[in-house]
Amino acid sequence: MIARAAAIAGIGQTAYAKALPPAAWELAVEAVLAACADAGVDVADVDGMCRFTAPFETVSEAMLVRALGIRELSFFAQAPHGGEALGAVVAHAAAAVSAGLANVVVVYRALSQSRGGRFGRADRGAGESAADIVVPEQDNLSFAWPYGLMSPGQLFALWARRYATVHGLTDEDLTRTLGTIAITQRQYANSNPAAMMRDRKLDWETYQNARMISEPLRLFDLCLENDGACAFVVTSAERARALRDDPVYVLSATQTLSPYREPMGIYTGGEMLELFPPAAADRLFSQAGVSRKDIDVAELYDATSYMTLRSLESYGFAADGAGWRYVLDHGTGPDSPLPVNTHGGHLSEAYLHGMNGILEAVRQLRGTACNQVAGAEVALVGAPAGSATILAR
Amino acid sequence: MAVVPGMTELTAPYWEAAREGRLVIQECRSCGQLSHPPLPACPRCHGRGLGWREVSGTGTVYTYTVVRHPTHFAFADQIPYAIALVELAEGPWLITGITGCPPDEVRAGMPVRAVFREVTDGVTLPCFEPAP
Repeated sequence: MIARAAAIAGIGQTAYAKALPPAAWELAVEAVLAACADAGVDVADVDGMCRFTAPFETVSEAMLVRALGIRELSFFAQAPHGGEALGAVVAHAAAAVSAGLANVVVVYRALSQSRGGRFGRADRGAGESAADIVVPEQDNLSFAWPYGLMSPGQLFALWARRYATVHGLTDEDLTRTLGTIAITQRQYANSNPAAMMRDRKLDWETYQNARMISEPLRLFDLCLENDGACAFVVTSAERARALRDDPVYVLSATQTLSPYREPMGIYTGGEMLELFPPAAADRLFSQAGVSRKDIDVAELYDATSYMTLRSLESYGFAADGAGWRYVLDHGTGPDSPLPVNTHGGHLSEAYLHGMNGILEAVRQLRGTACNQVAGAEVALVGAPAGSATILAR
Repeated sequence: MAVVPGMTELTAPYWEAAREGRLVIQECRSCGQLSHPPLPACPRCHGRGLGWREVSGTGTVYTYTVVRHPTHFAFADQIPYAIALVELAEGPWLITGITGCPPDEVRAGMPVRAVFREVTDGVTLPCFEPAP
């Protein structure tokens, strides 16, 4: 990855809500048009697209090319593993631009969880029979689903419990740590007009008394489920500068995959806490040419509050096992050494598979965020196990 | 109604053994490497001669969660239930269910032993219970 060769020139999003009338396809169209308008590019000039693989992303590039009247794509790519791909899509788009495979690459993510795909409800689908469900023959799911391990929240509960066991946290230590993260993110959301939880305060009593979903994770430790879409436009640094005064440069972006480290896989090898290898984090920083101290704001993928905690360690902002004390001592709020998930994150803004974290980083680096970190120059957006990116103004 | 494993050529022997009340793990005949879930080749020596080894069925709870809110209707009537990652005495880890004690009593590091739970006529799941 060549630092500052590519840049994000435009961002766009729809409203975020529990249920929106438009289907995912229409939401994707709206977000892509908004991103192109923000970048000042004609959508007809888009010649590259990058997205998450199905079944996560249901809107294909073919659907968008058709709906948007795009002449031709010369580059289109997909990245696997759901939200773990948040840095991968940036890496692919930036690499395509740098290699001359495309000039204007749109990255998008659209969700319509109101129409299915929610984990938080055990609803029986219409017309489903009482017959046994045979687990699909992929990714070793047959060794997990029959035991009732079927959702990310349950998997992350296993990680959180392991973390507490290895590092000697009491249940109260873990509750206070995860609660600090959840409540801080809710406070950010309370001053973010786009956040689904903008009007909903969260205090300690409510947090602690909320029902356990999958111990040790409570209701407010888990992300929202919603409808919405995000998109952004990646182009060459030169073109981005011609389009706007405040492009956001891609300093680095990396993917990582090792045996038994595929997210949502079943972790049957090695220490399960080591999800984002230290070597991958070092690669991310060395390619960006910045150090941990240079990061002004971080948007850390938070399908659960535990992932924010662990990512503080994985990316080197706290030593292994010291993240929880770091959170209790310093927090992740606006006055902390490193403000984290300043839009409210997936816990309190909306769940867009990390793409809303990218958009928030762009706003922070443009100086236009709701919870603006003064003078923010460098931002890290990272997933717990699969990929990450460092962006700068 | 149950959620049952989809079986492949590679994984069927595991489930067939479970139906007979045996816990087996894939073993490389060249170097002895144990792999779970099974693989098409040995990741250590790349040998293709892979067989199955019956293991002791004893192990310890590496980590666990107690599920109190179902994410799928198939498990709604089993709430609360405990899921664990168990480290077998022979080394491999497996995702499993903990039975034989209230879910609240499951702890990390707890010694456990395999039990076999028939969930449908044709399918038996290896589960674990506290070891005496």
